[in-house]
This record gives sequence, structure tokens and C-alpha cells, in this order.
Amino acid sequence: MLWRSRGRKGSLSGPKSARANRMPEPRTRQFGSCLTSGYLPEAGRSGGGVSGLSRVQLLRPGSQLKFIPEEIVIYGRDFRLLKVGFEAGGLEPQAFQVTVAIVQARAQSSQTQQYRAVTLSTAGQASGSRKPPIPLLETSEDWETELKQQGATGWRVSTVNERFDVATSLSCYFWVPNGVLDSAVRRVFDHFHQGRGPRLSWHHPGGSDLLRCGGFYTTSDPNKEDIRAMESMLQAGHSEVVLVDTVDEMPSLADIQLAHLKLRALCLHDSSVADDKWLSALEGTRWLDFVRSCLRKASDVSVLVTSRDRSVVLQERGDRDFNGLFSSLVQLLVAPEARTLFGFQSLVQREWVAAGHPFLTRLGETGATEEAPVFLLFLDCVWQLLQQFPAEFEFSEFFLLALHDSVRVPDTLTFLRNTPWERAKKSRQFNSYTQVYTPGYSQTPAGNSINLQLSVWDWNLRYSNEQILQFHNPCYDPEHHPDAWCPRQQLSFMAPGPPSSLWLFSRGALTPLNQLCPWQDSPSLLAVSSRWLPRLAVSSENLADQEWGLPSHWGACPLPPGLLLPGYLGPQIRLWRRCYLRGRPEVQTSGSALTVAGLQDELSCLQELLRKWTPRISPGDQCKKKDPNAILSPTH
Amino acid sequence: MLGKGVVGGGGGTKAPKPSFVSYVRPEVILRLHPVGVLPEDLLCLPPGEQLLCEASTVLKCVQEDSCQRGVYGRLVCTDFKIAFLGDSDPALDSDETQFKNKVIGENDITLHCVDQIYGVFDEKKKPLFGQLKKYPEKLIIHCKDLRVLHFCLRFTKEEEVKRIVSGIIHHTQTPKLLKRLFLFSYASAAQNHTASDPRNHTVMFDTLQDWCWELERTKGSMKYKAVSVNEGYKICDRLPAYFVVPTPLPEEDIQRFQGHGIPIWCWSCHNGSALMKMSALPKEQDDSALQVQRSFLDGVYKTVHRPPYEIVKTEDLSSNFVPLQEIQTAYCKFKQLFLIGNSSEFWDTDIKWFSLLESSSWLDVIRRCLKKAIEISECLEAQNMNVLLLEENASDLCCLLSSLVQVMMDPHCRTRTGFQSLIQKEWVMGGHCFLDRCNHLRQSDKEEVPVFLLFLDCVWQLVHQHPPAFEFTETYLTVLSDSLYIPIFSTFFFNSPHQKDTNMGRESPDAQSKPLTLLTVWDWSVQFEPKAQTLLRNPLYVEKPKLDKSQRKGMRFKHQRQLSLPLTQSKSSPKKGFFREETDHLIKNLLGKRISKFINSSDEFPDSFREFYENWHSKPVDYHGLLLPHIEGPEIKVWAQRYLRWIPEAQIVGGGRVATMGKLLEMMEEVQSLQEKINERHRGAEALPAGAPCLPRNSARLSSLFPFALLQRPSSKPVLPTSSWKALGDEDDLAKREDEFVDLGDV
Repeated sequence: MLWRSRGRKGSLSGPKSARANRMPEPRTRQFGSCLTSGYLPEAGRSGGGVSGLSRVQLLRPGSQLKFIPEEIVIYGRDFRLLKVGFEAGGLEPQAFQVTVAIVQARAQSSQTQQYRAVTLSTAGQASGSRKPPIPLLETSEDWETELKQQGATGWRVSTVNERFDVATSLSCYFWVPNGVLDSAVRRVFDHFHQGRGPRLSWHHPGGSDLLRCGGFYTTSDPNKEDIRAMESMLQAGHSEVVLVDTVDEMPSLADIQLAHLKLRALCLHDSSVADDKWLSALEGTRWLDFVRSCLRKASDVSVLVTSRDRSVVLQERGDRDFNGLFSSLVQLLVAPEARTLFGFQSLVQREWVAAGHPFLTRLGETGATEEAPVFLLFLDCVWQLLQQFPAEFEFSEFFLLALHDSVRVPDTLTFLRNTPWERAKKSRQFNSYTQVYTPGYSQTPAGNSINLQLSVWDWNLRYSNEQILQFHNPCYDPEHHPDAWCPRQQLSFMAPGPPSSLWLFSRGALTPLNQLCPWQDSPSLLAVSSRWLPRLAVSSENLADQEWGLPSHWGACPLPPGLLLPGYLGPQIRLWRRCYLRGRPEVQTSGSALTVAGLQDELSCLQELLRKWTPRISPGDQCKKKDPNAILSPTH
Repeated sequence: MLGKGVVGGGGGTKAPKPSFVSYVRPEVILRLHPVGVLPEDLLCLPPGEQLLCEASTVLKCVQEDSCQRGVYGRLVCTDFKIAFLGDSDPALDSDETQFKNKVIGENDITLHCVDQIYGVFDEKKKPLFGQLKKYPEKLIIHCKDLRVLHFCLRFTKEEEVKRIVSGIIHHTQTPKLLKRLFLFSYASAAQNHTASDPRNHTVMFDTLQDWCWELERTKGSMKYKAVSVNEGYKICDRLPAYFVVPTPLPEEDIQRFQGHGIPIWCWSCHNGSALMKMSALPKEQDDSALQVQRSFLDGVYKTVHRPPYEIVKTEDLSSNFVPLQEIQTAYCKFKQLFLIGNSSEFWDTDIKWFSLLESSSWLDVIRRCLKKAIEISECLEAQNMNVLLLEENASDLCCLLSSLVQVMMDPHCRTRTGFQSLIQKEWVMGGHCFLDRCNHLRQSDKEEVPVFLLFLDCVWQLVHQHPPAFEFTETYLTVLSDSLYIPIFSTFFFNSPHQKDTNMGRESPDAQSKPLTLLTVWDWSVQFEPKAQTLLRNPLYVEKPKLDKSQRKGMRFKHQRQLSLPLTQSKSSPKKGFFREETDHLIKNLLGKRISKFINSSDEFPDSFREFYENWHSKPVDYHGLLLPHIEGPEIKVWAQRYLRWIPEAQIVGGGRVATMGKLLEMMEEVQSLQEKINERHRGAEALPAGAPCLPRNSARLSSLFPFALLQRPSSKPVLPTSSWKALGDEDDLAKREDEFVDLGDV
């Protein structure tokens, strides 16, 4: 069925109004595959637009086509709008068949897609066994290298979860403090929700550590030794610990899902909202409001990380949604290396994919009720940062768009599994599966099966070289703050924390805590609900602590190098037009970024010309020739 | 979710608790202001400026939160501005200072820029006007450029408070005589100071040649003529000395109703159709007078409707368009969104930001203006019709729409000199009442309507949507909008050219003195150093490709042919009936029986508009041709640079458009030098190093508010003033900070 309808696609009269604007759309071939595997259409609608006798039918999975369509309109879940018109006469039977095929494919896919085979084999053959463009963090070497790059000397890679027996939602490897034994790690992790104990996310060159962990598993009964181990893991050698409740003041998952649905309804069905009511309709979706809350909190946490030498622990009950969102946002704000193309991709791979964000559930591929596009919310936040700091990011808006669109493309496993365990299981199974059917794979030894694994980061599966070139932000200017590029030196502004002080960061303020874990002095406390509410220490400092500054107080005083503080006022949060409004005909790409690209082209053209004339020109003058592979690999 | 809770104690709900470290100690205050020993040269007055009153030991507060800190200094009121002179002026980066305005310093407010003055009495904010019985402890000044300045008068001597507060109120809020404008004292004092920019090519339209030149440029000279009947303002005060009318129009017709009721040419399209404006005839009750008016208009229309003139379509702006009142209320609501005293207010409004913005309907007014301008361009461009704008005095919405249409249709108006000439032609010479509309003389609040600002905002939308089409930047527009309130330039301080000429002192008794020479805004070197002026020029402007001569000839030939065969109008046949009817309607309109919406009554109109609009947007943009804005809901945006630039919270350090500007200029420079190298190889000569402009780099990250952000410098707190400082007991740090920042606890 798959091939049949893909073959038919060639006989369509071509997209009529899907205007070729300059954003990189996936190649047509791949778009066909999206269609047939049913990820794209939310609902197909067909009607006679040309004849004027417009009959419109909404096609849902399982509905019958009532007439021969002249035009199919496909509303994509990724905000794409595809209109396909059939040429009048001659094509009617095919038009009918194609439409029916699409509806059927969608119906089938929505029933069976949870663990359906992925259509990646054709692309995978060509690539053979090569290194993935981004370390997939499936081997301990990847983790070791990454740890070394971060310069986190007090940390080591723990292999305790190699067989997924500590937590299936965790990756095989993670970082724990040097001084904690694997046996202790295993015991400590038992006392956290779903076994997701405290792990290092990122080490600040100035000394602070950013940790993430799940909620305390309050029905367990740890002994004194466990508690001590737990505390030392949270403290990670710092005298000051700040617990950040990442869910605090955040919308619920259901809120996010609702906002996203509303946003999609607003952006795709454009005619319903009058131009002068657009703004309040946009506000009514609350999506931008959520984006704003995320940016604000991320900015606060990044100040926490940079201002003092402390251990900042992100805590969320499940540790799989907002923790990922904030740990990656904070790293984008604090670490210049996370803003490169390579760095950003490995960030997503580490904090989302390897950390077990339930992509499949959250993006609604399983039909589960816990659908919530947390990852898309994250991408929107990143886009806001990109808007606000156009010279600080190596990747462009197009890259974010490509990532946004890849989330539902079923050709790699990256976003199609809920946990690293499922991914590992599937990939092994998948490899043996293909070995049976494709002769090309039978020669490859089973040992490097992991290398065969394609990821979403293999962009050339879906995008042409010209499109991949556009992933590069022409305005990127790493020399903007040169000291950011030698970040390993100790930063002087970090003062050591006071002896063992514990804080809770919530509602924008720091509150002192008496104890880190809920069990310490009164075992009876265990009865409290699963979401542990810390008891606030009564102290005269309490009020003053609310003075804990807004980041704007940094004002014009020189910021620590590399730190970005985003704006999050109402007027500064914008709608990602090129993503959400691309179904609309009037949205055109324009803006300075492209003109800068044009300028760069002119520049390289002139340099080329000059080089032809003067072979003796010093190579240092020349711009690096742009090459898609070079862009996607670490350059710095 | 985004409530005040997050703001913490900084929120306005809680007064700062005394438990917090108070940075104030008596000895600190003493150290900070050695009273009365201010060197006089700190206050550098422009020529002609007189000091009126002053107060020392005024604290200029940081507005960002309720714990009040600030800088001590002297508050001064002159006949030009209100100025604050800080005792310890923070040393600014030399990089930043060269982007400063030379006339208006960072703490200066010209008297015309003051919008509202509030006083704080016992924590309550009240507007101040007239005679005061009680003097406030804090003065809050809202400016028309949307700055909000807080001055705390708690430590000032009582008589000084009285003097300065009543002085400021008197000089900013009481009605003024035109002759008392600072403009005149400045001009007479700076008589010998000749600030003439040789490279200022702006056409001023104060001579007959200028108009002839404009006619030539737009190729309208075949059908229109420049007339000098109003030389010396013999006919009327409203019109400029020279203007352009259709060639066959007899001069006595112009005199008949003092210039009312005659079509005045604004601009000619490349296809020969023209944009004209007309001020309505005075309303008459008398039947015979009506009869006279009717026959007069009939006569006028006969001449304009005869070939070679195209069909005329009339747009009655007084009855069919946004009323001025609505513009005023929309802007008043809109600006309130940005005139915010402290950050907690901002947090409160944030969550409802979009609906507040929408309810102000300012963006909708902009949309309607842009839409009307597109409609007019459609008539001119696609339907080949003449458009006649009709308004009471033809000096408000006429100016707005005709200049907007020209910006959209004429690429010359998108260059800097072209844009300046356009403002000169349509607004200054077109008799827009700047004095009344900006309420410079404080004579009537009712008349204050920000029509010109609306125009600039509409142009900003275009600049924002099509940056490469404009030679100037949004910074240029922002700076231009600020210049509206600087009374050393004559451009925006008269109601008409007649008023300007009569007040120039030409007929003053001491005739031996030269007539005053007034500066124009277009001489940007008065306000900015050459380096700062680079910010006004768009580096990405795509210059017009040079046509080779054969092409040009072809075009001219085509044009002429069109003119010589006027009867081959494509649209004439189906619209013959429309012709007669329309003049009838028009006459009815003019005679006061306003028939609304007759233009929209024809059903095909919206459709052809839609088609024109969509058709244009479906093609790639030609930056040197017709330029249409998007007017859909998501496309009309807030002019963030102008409206957010004084809000410290809106500052994004190292971000914003400025961040790319540096890179951009660098690349421009590189392209330029490479091109020079290539040229040099051609010529084999030595190349000169390219002196391309560049922004300050590397020294410090600029903020998104640049070049306005440097004004925020003193208003920021030290790094992370959290409890941790205190917990640390870091005395050294605190001591360092006391020099600059003072906490007043419960003020």
C-alpha cells in the first residue's frame, strides 16, 4: 500500500498553492512517505474550489468519500497546509483513488502505528556503517568524551544502568559524583520516582553544577546511610544547594496540549478570525504565555547557575518533561558551545532523547491522553532566543523548522520512542530484521549494529545540501565576545557559597530549607503525598530573600561572558510566524537574515574571483568554503 | 501564572521592608553632594537658552522597582528644556557617547516633549497642573517620546521645591505665544552660526523651481503646471506660495474660494494617472450660494475630466475614513501601555498584553491607513484612474495618505532625501498644522492628534516588512519622531508655510537685521556626529540598478506614446456612466450633504482590491517598484524600538537587531574592500583603505536598546543583589556600591 500510493503521487497535477517560499521543505519524495504513513494529515478536506460549486467534505479516518474531489486540502499537524488540485478531466478516477488511499493510510496508521516498522531502510542502505554526525550517547565513550569536554573533574560515568535495571527511562550511562560508588547510586536511585536519581546535566566552567532528578519517592524508607549518600549526590561537592521545582508556576501538560491545539486551530483556519481580533485570539491560545513563563524561569535558573558556586538541582516528579526543557534552555543561555549547531544537537540528544523524554506519548502518536508537545514548546523558546540574540546562535531558524518538522517523520527512531530502553531494544530488533530482508546488511558484523542506527541528525536523509546550508546562521558571530571561547578558566566572579546552605527556588525567590530530603528527622513525614512539599525554615532572612533579584537587575553591568539573559516581557515574545503561519498564503519569508546570507554569497563570490586572479593570496584571508558536512561537524 | 509572585518583593504590592540592607547612611549623603559647588560649565546651554529655575539635591530615581535608588544631582528648568545634572556622571564608554544626540542629553527633556506631570503625595500619584497648594515629594514626568522620569524632591530645600515644581508646571503646561517659542531666541542668538550641510539634498519646495523639478521627475509636467498665484500669500494663508494644479485650470478659479475646491496635484504615477487633493468648500446655508458653488465645482470638474485626464475617483476622507478623534483616543490608550512607572506594573499588564494592545486599536488604525493607501495605489496603478483626496482643510489625513501612497509607489521616496523631500512637500508645505497637532503651544488639548506619528508608524510597518527597499532605518524614523519636539528646528514648529514666513522677522521693525535663519531637521549633523549618522542609513538598502541608456529611451518613448493617445484608455468604456454620477455625488458631498460610503457602494471595488493585493504579494518583491505592505492581523506590529526603548526590563544585553548590525557592517566593509581590490587590479593602481563605518565592537556587548540604551546605564543595580551578598557578608562589595547607588528605604 505504501508503495502504491507513493507511485500515484507522481500523477497528481502538482501542488497548486503550496507556495515555494524559501524555507526548506523536506524533499518531495519524503513528503510522500509522510503522507502514506499517516503522520501528516490531521484531517483531509476536499472540495471543488475551481468550479465555484464548492462542496466540501471533511475526511476523517474511516469516512467515505462522497464525490470526486477537485482539490484536496491537507492540514498538517506541523502547521503545514498542502493543497493539491487535480486537473479537470482525465484524472477523476485517480483523484478518487488517491484520496481514498490517503484516508485509508491515515486510518491504518492511527491504529497500528505505535510500534510500526519505520521506513528508514531505503535511506539507511546507502549510509553504511559510518559514524553518526552527533554522538548518540549510547556508548560509555560518548559520555566520557562529553564529560571531558565539559571539564567536570569531580564527576564520573556510571555504568550502573547498562542493562536498564535501575530505570528503563534512563540512558545506559549517566554522570554521578566521583565519590559515590555504583552500589550507592543504585540504592539512592531507588528512592526517587521511577528510579531517576540526581545526575549531572552540565558543569559550569566557573564551578557550579546543574543537576536533574525526579521527585523523591516518599513511600520508600531510606536508612541513614542512604540519606547521606543521597545528600552527597545532590550536594556534589558544593557547599550550597538550590533545589529548583521545575513544575512550579508552569502550565500542566494538559494546558500545553490545549494551547497547542488552539494555536493550530487559529493558525490553520485563518478565515475565522478578523484581522483586528487576531491579537486577542492569539492571546486566548495562551501558547505565548507559556513560552514566556519558560523563558523567565530559565533565565532565573541560569542566573542561579552563574552567580555563585553552587549545585543547582532541577527537580520534577517525572524528570522527563520540564527538567529537560529547563536544563537545555539554561545551557543555551549559559554555555556558548551549546549554541553551535553541533552543540545544540548533542544537547537535544542528551537532555531529551537520552534522558528519556517520552516523545511518542507526548506527541500523541500512541493516542495516549498524556499528549503534550513539550518539545515543541522548547523549540519555540529556542526560536525566541534566536530572535532576541541573532548573532549568538550558529544555527538558523530553518534548522529549528527542520527539527520541528522532523518530530513526526517516521524515518528514524530518535523521536519515535519513549525511552532509551525501547530505542535500544528496537534498534537491535530492527537490525536483525533488516538483515533477513536486505542482502546489503548481511555482510555487516552484528557488533557495530549501533552505528547502523540512523538518527534525526542525519539531515541529508531528508534535506538537500542547499537546504542544509541554510541551517547555518549567517549572522553568527562567535568573536562577539572572545572570552567566551576560552571558557575553561576559572571565573573570578564566582564566590564560594556559605557553608552548607540549602535553598528552594520557587516563585522567583529563594527560600532557605532546613533539610534536603524529606525523610531525615521525622520518618512520619513519609505519609505526605507523592509530591513532597518542603517545609520552609522560619527565618528572618525570609523576606529579604524575596529580594532575590530579577535578572534585569544585572542591567548594564557587564554580564559574565557567554551568559544571555532573554527578554520576556509581553511585547518581546513573538509568534513564530514561519512555523505556525506557513499554511497561510500571505506569509512570506523576508527579513535581514536572508539578506545577510545574500551578502555572504556576494562576499564568497568576490573572494573566489579574487583568488582566481591572485593565487598568492594568503589562505588566512579566505572564508571557509561552506560545505554541509563541515557545518554539521564540530568546528570549534 | 505570571503573577506578581514571581517578581518577589520587588513587586509593587509590598513596600520594601526595613530589614533589607539600607544603602543610605547620613554620611553617605553628605559625601555624595557637596552642596552648591557644582561647576557651572556642567550645564552647557545652547545659544539663546536661559536658565529659569533650578533645585539641587534632587534624586533621580531608578524606576525599575520599589526600592528606590538613584543619582543625586541638580534639576534645572530653562526656556528650552528640563535637565538633570548628576553629581557623579557615570563615565560612559567613548564608543557609546559618539552615538549620543548632541542637542538633547540623556537626562534632558525639552519643554515640548513633556506630556504629563505627576506628583506623588504620600504614596499617591496625582496629575499636577495650575497653582499648587501642596508640593509633592516626588515628581514623575511622562514624556512624549515615552520616557518616564522620576525625581525625588525629599532632600531638596523647600523653597527650591516650590520654585522648580511651579516653574516646570508653568513652562510646560500653560498656553504659550508663538513668538515665545525657543526657536526664535535660538535663531537670533545663533545668527552667525551657519550650520549648512552641503550634502543636504532635500528639496524644500519653497521655490517654483522645486515644484517644476518634482513635476519633471514624476513626468507630470504634460498635464500639470506649477503656479505662483499665491506668491506672498495673496490668495490664502493655508496654501504654500507655489503649488501645482491641472494645466487648463484658470487662475481666477484658484482665487475664487481662496484655494478651496480646486484640485491640487500631489504626485504623478508612471502611467500618467495622478494623485490630487482638495480642500472642501466652505459650508453654505444659502441656496444661491450653494448654486454658485455647484456651478463652480462643475466647471472645475469639466476641466479635470476632459482628456487627457484620466477618470477621477474621489476619496472623501472626512466622512469615509478614520476620524481624527479616533486616532487621538487610540494613541492615548496605546501609549499608556508603555508609560509604565515600575516593573511590577509591567508584570501585571504582561499577561493581558495582546488584548490590551488590541483594545487600544492603534494597530487597527494603522491597518486601516495602510489599507486605504493600498486601495488608492490600486486605482492609480491598476485602474489607471486619478484619485482626488478630499478633506476639510486637506491637511491631515490627506497628508498622511498621499505621502503613504508615494512611499509605496515611488522608490524615490524610499531614499532618505526622497523621504525628506516628501515630508517637506506633503506635510510642511502641505500645511499640516504641526503646532496644533503636537500641541506645542499648549493651547488646546483637543487639537492634539498624532497624525504625523501615525504616518511614521505606517512607514515603519513598511520598513519592517521590506527592509531592503528603504535607504533609511527604523532608527531614522525613531529619531525623526523625537525631533518633532526639539524646538530648535523650524520644520515641525509651524502650522503653515505662511505662518513660518511671517514669523521669520522679515517685516520686523529692526529691518536692518537679517531675517532669521532657522535650522531644519534634515540637517542631521546638528543632532548627530557622522558616526552616529551611520545608524540612520540602512546598510542593506538595495540601490537602484543603473539602467543603460537604450532602456531608458524605450521607457520614455512608451510613456510619451501613452500621453499622445489619451483616448485609448483601457478602462473607459464600461465606466462611462460612473463619470457623471460621481461628480454629482461629489458635489453633494462638498455641499455638506454627506452621502456616506458611496465609494464602497460599487460592488466590484473590494474584489479588485483583493485581487490587486494578492496578486502583488504572490510575486517576488521588486524593491524599486510598487511596494505593498501586508495588512493581515499577524503582520501589523508594534514599533518596538520607539515604544520599548526606555523600559529597562525590555533590554536584551547582547541581543536585538544591533547584534547583527555589527556583523553586517563588517561584511559590507569586506565586500567593499574586495571590490576595491578587484577594481584596483583593473586599474593597477594603489587602493585606499576603505573607511567604512563600523559599530563599536568587543568593548562591551551592546544591548537591544542601542543607541538609546546607554541612557539606562546609571539606572541599573549592581550584579545580583540577592540575599547571598548579605549571607556572604561581603562588606567590600557593598561599600563599593554605595558610591553610586543609594537606597532610600521607605520613600
